[in-house]
Amino acid sequence: MTNQTPFADLVESGLVGDPRNGSIWRALRQVFNAHQLADWRADLARLQASGLGPAGLEAYIRATGTLAEKRGPLAALALAPCILDVERHAGRAAAAALSEATAPALRHLGNERDFRDWLDAVAELAAQGPESVAPVLARSDGLLAELGAHGFRAWVLGGLRAGGGDPERRLALFSLSDPRAFDLFEQATGDIGFTDAERALKAYLIALFRQKPFIRAVAGTPGDTLQRRASFERQFVQVPARMRGVATSSVRKVYRAMLAHIGAHLVHSGPRFQVRGLKPMQVALVSLIEDARVEQLAMRELPGLFRLWAPFHTARADGGVTAPSLFARLSRALIDPNYRDDDLWVTKGRQMFFADREAWVDPGISRQIGNLLGNDLGQMRIQFNPRTYRVEPLYRDDNSGLWDTDDAPPQISDEQDVIVETVRIERTQDLDDHDLESSIPDDDVGQATARESRADDGVPVGKYAEYDYLLGRERSEWTTVVEYQPQPVDTTLLDRQVQSYGDVLNRLENLVGAARVSRPARLRARTEGDRLDLDATIEAAIDRRAGLAPSPRVYETTERRNRDLSVLVLLDISESTKDFVKGSSTTILTFERIATALLSQALSDLGDAFAVAAFCSNGRDDVRFYPVKGFNQPYDRDARARLAGLRGGLSTRIGGALRHAGVVVGAQRTHRRLVLVVTDGEPSDIDVADRRYFVEDARKAVQSLAHSAIDVFGIGPDGAGTGYLGRIFGRRNFVVIDQIARLPNKLPLLYMRLTS
Amino acid sequence: MLRTLGGSQFRESPAFSGSGFGRGIFFPEPRELMTNLDDYRIREQPYYKAVGTEIALFEAAHQARMPMMLKGPTGCGKTRFIEFMAWRLKKPLVTVACHEDMTASDLVGRFLLDANGTVWHDGPLTNAVRYGAICYLDEIVEARQDTTVVIHPLTDDRRILPLEKKNELVRAHPDFHLVISYNPGYQSVLKDLKESTKQRFGAIDFHYPAADVETEIVAHEAGIPTSAARTLVEIGIRSRNLRGHGLDEGASTRMLIHAGRLVAKDVSLSAACDAALVLPITDDPDMREALKDAIAACI
Repeated sequence: MTNQTPFADLVESGLVGDPRNGSIWRALRQVFNAHQLADWRADLARLQASGLGPAGLEAYIRATGTLAEKRGPLAALALAPCILDVERHAGRAAAAALSEATAPALRHLGNERDFRDWLDAVAELAAQGPESVAPVLARSDGLLAELGAHGFRAWVLGGLRAGGGDPERRLALFSLSDPRAFDLFEQATGDIGFTDAERALKAYLIALFRQKPFIRAVAGTPGDTLQRRASFERQFVQVPARMRGVATSSVRKVYRAMLAHIGAHLVHSGPRFQVRGLKPMQVALVSLIEDARVEQLAMRELPGLFRLWAPFHTARADGGVTAPSLFARLSRALIDPNYRDDDLWVTKGRQMFFADREAWVDPGISRQIGNLLGNDLGQMRIQFNPRTYRVEPLYRDDNSGLWDTDDAPPQISDEQDVIVETVRIERTQDLDDHDLESSIPDDDVGQATARESRADDGVPVGKYAEYDYLLGRERSEWTTVVEYQPQPVDTTLLDRQVQSYGDVLNRLENLVGAARVSRPARLRARTEGDRLDLDATIEAAIDRRAGLAPSPRVYETTERRNRDLSVLVLLDISESTKDFVKGSSTTILTFERIATALLSQALSDLGDAFAVAAFCSNGRDDVRFYPVKGFNQPYDRDARARLAGLRGGLSTRIGGALRHAGVVVGAQRTHRRLVLVVTDGEPSDIDVADRRYFVEDARKAVQSLAHSAIDVFGIGPDGAGTGYLGRIFGRRNFVVIDQIARLPNKLPLLYMRLTS
Repeated sequence: MLRTLGGSQFRESPAFSGSGFGRGIFFPEPRELMTNLDDYRIREQPYYKAVGTEIALFEAAHQARMPMMLKGPTGCGKTRFIEFMAWRLKKPLVTVACHEDMTASDLVGRFLLDANGTVWHDGPLTNAVRYGAICYLDEIVEARQDTTVVIHPLTDDRRILPLEKKNELVRAHPDFHLVISYNPGYQSVLKDLKESTKQRFGAIDFHYPAADVETEIVAHEAGIPTSAARTLVEIGIRSRNLRGHGLDEGASTRMLIHAGRLVAKDVSLSAACDAALVLPITDDPDMREALKDAIAACI
């Protein structure tokens, strides 16, 4: 009885009702030591004070009992702070739901660490998306079963990032009513998707068939339990983004089989068949024969495809006499010579198909054989349900590309679509783009200018990953870089501003003169060379006569020393660059422009390959990239007009811009490649409040560029003293300038120092 | 250590070591090198399978001593063709593999030191010009552009080679014939022939042979049955589909022969393709995967 004392008052107070389940009390008593028990009591008191009602308290007690028993006292004690957190942000109902969800969740949380990951994810969700806590906790069991603790956290963070600051959007994502939740979901599972293997698969298709269709990965829809099939429509191919229910090790094989099959169609299928009064069963059968026909033709040239396709055909001769079963058996009979099937209908199909191998080149035989077999099935009174029919096996496409239906074919020919297609941007995202835009207050002129220039002239040029430091990994294809053309303006003002830096210009001229490229240098006393070095030769002759071994370095040669480098100057033109610099009436952007103009002048005098671009961002779907001067363009009046036309606005998502800059400069075939970033402040964007996120992402981007042998160098002020420049660019690769007004003096000289 | 050696010991040291001509070698013995170009004659008939009219065309060009340019991707048989033609025309063949550090002196010749002072040493081009050989400059785009201009006076009707340093003008032997090879696809962004060089040459365009011919070549050179050679050729065609789509160049006939030779030594076809095609051709994991899978589809 004494053992019950610690809880007696609770029972008596009636707050938690009668603890019917004695094992919980026993567990708490046995697992906790005296201190822990005191802590637990204190937690309970806090929860009580916070207004968690009797039901909530009881749920808490039960949850901690289970936790203590299964994961130890420390795990049990970790629950209360999280409940308090959730209660504070998301209310009592959500807090109670957390206790309720704990016990079921434990089944999927193998150890204490997993449990804490899960709690952390819930706490983060409560802080950043309080409205979504209850729906997520309600599905917690199923989500954890699919994703595990780490995947769950990745999914929650992904949802928060994707939802931005919009509660409704978040709620739609987290209650899985937004289809994009499934994209996130599938990313979080860590399975291989089409995009992971895309490059190799496309190359595979080109190698086998010289076919280069546009391939788009399509995400599954919520509630779609059956794995969807691939589909093609002339040169447009859709493949499932993920293969559900396929072992990770086989995913690539399925995609390979899928694309090889579509490739065989593209090469060997003729013009599309006319439906013209065919019954659905006949359509399906003609398609089946056509599949077999193109595969046979492809295997004539590429016999190895048999080993790729055949294992997918698993139909057995003892299957039922239903349409799907017979179809699958016939498919197998038409590809696998070792397959035995005594069914009369299957045998007849096989005989007709193999009767004349020379006839395979004619697509007409598919129609002919398919029709005959369809009639037979009709006479056998075998039912065919086109609604539930799915082409088997998994790798075959849905055959919609084979038929000319009466419906108007989808118009997918205009160029814009093609461009959009190639960077895989879905229309829905475009719409969201505009939504986002309209949610930004339009309070000043600069922004209006940016908006005007946007007017549909942005072209998506690439999708890039973004790194989430909380997860410790990259989200693939997370940001979209959109290229906009800067509006050229009159350069008179810029030219005058540049002229006012006469002293810098003079100094630069001297430096440029000294560093000018391609001067032949005479290298003397070499062991190899095309001429004898006269001095060294005389020396050698003297040595010889003196009985000494002469030096073999008697040649001279001429070498041209090239400044073999390309540089991309990347300007930050976010909203903050419109601020006036302290003590002047000039904006930061103006100083950036002048500095860039001075540097560009020096670079074009030097003959170094260089490009200038600017960036700002408006959420992850619109990282704006303004090319001012390309590597192949001269630095002329037009380029200056574009430079003068840059207007500040929006945010600083530096990581995406850097990755794109890396692609641009990476195409240069020089020994050294350099990206010089001029920034005016810490990176930020509208859809993520966490500043550190962008710093860490930018740091990751710089590292990935370094992997491709591209040096990144940053210059900017560090007003807040957070040291973010060092964090992003690395300890030795940045310069802090105390006054932005010094930028025009510093930047060109800095470049000369970097490259001399 | 070196200085304690007597000068006389240097005279006995081998004059030429390695392949480089006069590069980094001290005091070579003045040999009458290459005055007799017999070493450069090809005695046995090289295997060459004609793919078109190139043999007749080259014979006509040779009779006119028209400088010729053999164009085509790597490993398609350009070098084998010129060896075959040299054999057929019974002319010595002096081959120079061009590289980016090559200077004009490497072609023309230079002064070297010997025991008694300086001595001029003809380069391979000068030798071919003096004594009448076919001079084949392989992969000429690799050489620096200022190097290639030394061939200009040889390629018009002057047919002379001025040796400025020696103050000598060498008139070409009637048998001298200049042939260069040129791979237009190869790093063409950075490297190209000067217009003034290009326009001095007639050209024969080489491609990978048609499948049947290539099969015959691979079977003959590797010593494997036609069926295996056919599969290799199919693989080669698939890899060439990837040219410009991740690969700079598909598998050459030479590579297919390499793979075939491994097959002839009882290596399995897929292992041979791995070793002789996939691994040498690219380091890109995606491309390797695509190539391997494409090879699996062909076997």
